[in-house]
Amino acid sequence: MFLEIIDVSVSGLINGSIYSLMAVGLTLVYGVTKAFNFAYGSFYIFGGYFAWILLVQLGITGGYFSVFFAAVPVFFLVGYMLEKILISPLRKYDDWEMKVMMLTLGLALFMDFAFQAVFGPRVKSLPGLLEGTIEIGEMVLFQQDIGIFVLSISCMLGFGWVLNNTRTGMAVQAVAQNPMGAQIVGIPKNSIFAATFAISTIMVGLGGILLCQKNLIDPMGGTNIMIKAWVITAFGGMGSIRGSLYAAFILGMLEAFVGWYFGMIHVQIATLTLLLVTLAIRPQGLMGRE
Amino acid sequence: MLKIDKLNAYYGQSHVLKNVTASVERGTVVVMLGPNGHGKSTLLKSICGLVEKVDGRISYDEQDIIGLASDKIVNMGVTYIAENRELFPYMTIRENLKLGAYSKKARANEKKNIEWVASLFPKLMQRHNQLARTMSGGEGKMLAIARGLMSDADLLCIDEPALGLQPSYRIDIFNIVQEISKRGKTVFLVEQNIPQLIEMADKIYIMEEGSISFEGSKDDVLNNEQLKEIFLGL
Repeated sequence: MFLEIIDVSVSGLINGSIYSLMAVGLTLVYGVTKAFNFAYGSFYIFGGYFAWILLVQLGITGGYFSVFFAAVPVFFLVGYMLEKILISPLRKYDDWEMKVMMLTLGLALFMDFAFQAVFGPRVKSLPGLLEGTIEIGEMVLFQQDIGIFVLSISCMLGFGWVLNNTRTGMAVQAVAQNPMGAQIVGIPKNSIFAATFAISTIMVGLGGILLCQKNLIDPMGGTNIMIKAWVITAFGGMGSIRGSLYAAFILGMLEAFVGWYFGMIHVQIATLTLLLVTLAIRPQGLMGRE
Repeated sequence: MLKIDKLNAYYGQSHVLKNVTASVERGTVVVMLGPNGHGKSTLLKSICGLVEKVDGRISYDEQDIIGLASDKIVNMGVTYIAENRELFPYMTIRENLKLGAYSKKARANEKKNIEWVASLFPKLMQRHNQLARTMSGGEGKMLAIARGLMSDADLLCIDEPALGLQPSYRIDIFNIVQEISKRGKTVFLVEQNIPQLIEMADKIYIMEEGSISFEGSKDDVLNNEQLKEIFLGL
């Protein structure tokens, strides 16, 4: 029993670490631009296909190391260009937040069907990051899970460092906290919007590379990821990075324990019940600002 | 240094500034008086690129700046110090000041300016790790001015710095405006009715209903009984 609990906790921690990577990117975009990116889940799938092309199709040397090395600039560029070409022109309208939501919803559907057209309707699988197991006493851990956990946490720490120690990171926070104040000190708001979109694309793309090893790459799977990321950000508090972090680990643990004790079919019910109760008592979420 | 010619500004359907013409010479302190809600703040914001719908002409050092993005204007050496502070609430005093020096121009002189700011606002620097959201109104106003000075601007557009402050803070603010002016900076300051400010003004404008209704020296105001009574309460 005790070993099982440890095992489930480890599984919850691993889920939480990947969810945090995905949810923080979504909440970052909302916090800075006050617009919701519905295409977020599709970029997760894009991350999975990106790794699949490099690893399975091209057999890139260096394995996952090369994939991560290539992913950061590619996802940054994709996110940045997409923001500049599709989203930025909408800002001249008074109700641009609503227009961005409509556009990203369309983009999500476009990407999902494009994935299906290009890669076919069947799911694809990625090779494991690491093979084998580690035994600690009677407990057996998969090296792949440990690798995913360590990489997710490293990515989070890396993004945290960028946000708190670089001029661009500080500017991102400044725009999120006070857009007028940011303009007053001379922060180019539009460039920061694009940079934020790009950073969040990197985060969800890396999340896709890591989690698709466990969950397979489903061309239409973006919607589920989008819902998951939304549940975490709404539970943690829209726009609150710290709230999303806590929420990701709480929900990761909840999923693991409910799945173990009551069965996987009850996982979504438990997650959504927690979300609804939280929002009924505290509409701004765990750490959202009123 | 700054020339404004037939400037109009709009918020939605509302025509706020109507053919405003004014000028600010380098190294001077220009004060604009006028009732609340008559367009004084909009004028300063228009100069600094913070109002979207504007037409007419604004030139700074002979360069046309109307319609330029605010970050370009800040980089040219013009900064706006907001009446309602516009700080970054979840950042510390030090982080707010650091972001004040965001522009390329400011970055070059960041070290020199932080020393100057520390000498002007010693209390702020003693509590540099305090979050801006936990500061009182007067302290926040001081931080807003300090952050504005970090931008290394040559022209400071200061919006109602003494509004809603206790008398002791008001005196501090007048002293600081004097210090800024002594350092060769140009100040374009907007207030409602502060007689003490008149003493340091090289030129005074009065704005009513979005138009300039008076332009003159401090003596012109002080010798005009009607103006003294209406705008200075003297």
